[in-house]
Amino acid sequence: MSAQSNNTPSKTKPTTTPALQSFWNSFVQTFKDVFGDKGVLLMLVIAPIIYGFFYPWPYSSEVVNHVPVGIIDHDNSNLSRTLVRYVSASPYLDTERFINEQAAKEAIWSDQIAGYMVIPTGLEEQVQSGEQAHVSVLGNGGYFILNKNVQLGFSQAVGTVSAGIKVKKSIAKGAYAPTAAQNTQAVPLRIMPLYNQTEGYGAYVVPAVSVIILQQTLLMATAMLIGTWYEQRRHSTSIRGWLGRIGALSSLSFIIGCFYYGWAFELHHYPRGQNMLGTLLFLALFCPTVATLGCVLGLWFRQRERSMQILIFISLPIFFLSGYPWPADQLPQVLQVIRWLVPTTPAINTSVQLNQMGASVSQVAIGFYALAGLWLLYFVLLLILRKRIPQRKAYL
Amino acid sequence: MHLTKLSEAFLRSAAYERRFLTKNHWDFSMVVWIPLATVLLIWWIFSQTQITDLPIGVIDQDNSAVANTAVRYLEASPTLTVRQLYYSQADAEAAILQRDIYAVVIIPEDFSHNILSSQPAPLTLQVNAQYGTHSGIIQAGVQAVASTLSAGVEIKRLVKQGVAPSQAMTAYAPISVQRISLFNAATNYQQFLASTVIPALLHILAMVIGATTIGRELRDKNIGRWYRFIDTGKPNLTLSKTSKTTSSLSTKQDSSNDNTSSNAKVPNSVSLSVLVFGLLGKYFWPILAYSLWSALILWLATSNQHINIMSLMAVYAGFLCLMILSFWLGAIFTLNSFSLRMGLSTTGFISAPSYAFAGVTFPYIAISNSAQYWSNALPLTHYLKLHIAQLQMQAPIAISLPILYGLMLAAIIALLLAALLTKRALAHPERWGAR
Repeated sequence: MSAQSNNTPSKTKPTTTPALQSFWNSFVQTFKDVFGDKGVLLMLVIAPIIYGFFYPWPYSSEVVNHVPVGIIDHDNSNLSRTLVRYVSASPYLDTERFINEQAAKEAIWSDQIAGYMVIPTGLEEQVQSGEQAHVSVLGNGGYFILNKNVQLGFSQAVGTVSAGIKVKKSIAKGAYAPTAAQNTQAVPLRIMPLYNQTEGYGAYVVPAVSVIILQQTLLMATAMLIGTWYEQRRHSTSIRGWLGRIGALSSLSFIIGCFYYGWAFELHHYPRGQNMLGTLLFLALFCPTVATLGCVLGLWFRQRERSMQILIFISLPIFFLSGYPWPADQLPQVLQVIRWLVPTTPAINTSVQLNQMGASVSQVAIGFYALAGLWLLYFVLLLILRKRIPQRKAYL
Repeated sequence: MHLTKLSEAFLRSAAYERRFLTKNHWDFSMVVWIPLATVLLIWWIFSQTQITDLPIGVIDQDNSAVANTAVRYLEASPTLTVRQLYYSQADAEAAILQRDIYAVVIIPEDFSHNILSSQPAPLTLQVNAQYGTHSGIIQAGVQAVASTLSAGVEIKRLVKQGVAPSQAMTAYAPISVQRISLFNAATNYQQFLASTVIPALLHILAMVIGATTIGRELRDKNIGRWYRFIDTGKPNLTLSKTSKTTSSLSTKQDSSNDNTSSNAKVPNSVSLSVLVFGLLGKYFWPILAYSLWSALILWLATSNQHINIMSLMAVYAGFLCLMILSFWLGAIFTLNSFSLRMGLSTTGFISAPSYAFAGVTFPYIAISNSAQYWSNALPLTHYLKLHIAQLQMQAPIAISLPILYGLMLAAIIALLLAALLTKRALAHPERWGAR
């Protein structure tokens, strides 16, 4: 244990011993400081655990069903009533009748319904006389997922009724019933969703956001700790000392990571653990990379609260730059390069490929190389900052 | 007389803050450069407003003319691009795992045989559903191709059976569905995501500024001096060179004399109205700056569409209320805990995930009931409802006015609450300086 850490920092002789600090001294001291500092402990350990429950909360229903929609029936025939019945039976939709389009539009504006179908007058007549007939489905393009459900629910219901008419007509023409029924769609599409087989929204978004939560809490906690040490003039140490700090912070984060991959995902029934060894290997590289970046930021910010002030808002932009919710090759060229400076860019995809999809380590090698490269870059930056900062006589 | 005292409190507080911001580049950046860069960055991210050419693979086990047509249709779809033909399931799966492709379409070996013999000839789409955005677009694209193929095959078949080509379409689908997307018909992601994500980010930034602007006075034990200055003008903190505002870290230097003088720094009587105007002055620069950034995003979001000027005014007013409310909320969380760090932690906890709860990407009606209470408690949810109703659906303004009034009322109440909490903070000097 260094003598300096036992004393309360005095302003007359700021740093003397740290240059001699060994890896393990520094490792143990960092642990002590983390558990002695409510702010760092809250950010590094407690916040990610709470987020593990809090963030998946809105998505607990996973799949969007029973979207409220409207029906306007101008035809009032047997056929239109059949259509209404089929639409009402759709699991995607919850129907409500409206007298005219104006009333339905007002309901859309006030978010009561997400779309509506208009059955025009003379629909039954047109169908019986063999004329082309159509109904209109109007969805709210302002909300993408709702719109998709509205279109799908109505189309399936109308398609079923339409196919029924076709079959009846074919049989009337003398076709053998089973053959006629088979003919409803010449090229049907069988969709097999891989990995996230229930196509849940939470199962799609939370595994990726978890990586951001891990990164952001570790970054802010590390920079807060280093900033606090700077204020107390305890920031400088040997290269081994820095490695000890990084080791201590990343091993705590590694444990939190195991909580996510081992338990939080399981609790929410997300696909997980497809390649557990690869995931652990990933965490063992990701955590030190982020902790090293946190040390760099801590030496740059040099104040306890600064890391939160600057870093809180960053999670949304880096999520959109990661290539996960928005395809990376749709980004402007410059951003396609810049985005690689953030650990989440390789980390989100690598983590999802390993843990949710079950890729082998060699299949995500690029992600591992990128993380290792980033760690090296951050460490070099740390060494440069470390050399430069003690020479500046700040404040005191 | 009284009014001049209040306006003096406002002006002194604004001058105090101006001096601080010019000397502290990080805090100045949070007001000017970071929000400006954020608005432009998000807008830039979504500058290609539609998702096109998602890479898929094809396994063609049939190798017939019809199968070739299917591949050509897939290639022609604007949302898809056929990256490669694979010859085995294992190759295709490896490509999906490496994210070279996000789906594979399998054309079975009896495909053309089934079509010729009037049997259903199914195609199989294996799609990486873990990547939800990609998967949704690919499914829609391939579904459209399958429908086109079906229609072609069936109409050809009907014509062969002697149905007149003009009648064939009707016989194929007696009732067709006319799909119409009201509003944002082109599924423009810049309009859908960028224009709603940016308000969410400015909301986060504004809450952080709200927390730091009053929180640093608490942390540096300067809040008593600040109040005395805005109340009486003495000592003149905007002139003195040795003022503490030059460095927020200089607390240690006078911490020795703090014990003796901290009681003297506590104002004897605190006027709530002076505090209200003092706070307005202290937050004057951020409010001014963020009203500019709000205007910038609304200008970006509406530059290529015609929006009723009254709707635009209502959205702008709502945005300003959201920003001002965010400043006071950040201040309230900090003052409530007497700690800048705790205030920032709370701010981050509440504001950073608020977009997920706002019901834009994952619809509000699908959010679980308990989470809907939380969603309703967030100001962002209500602002985005107003934003989408007016700017995207172009709803009549009357529908959104209750939200606007609600945001205004919330901003006023939050200001009063912030002033009350500041008064409480001034009465407890022993709790100043918490980290």
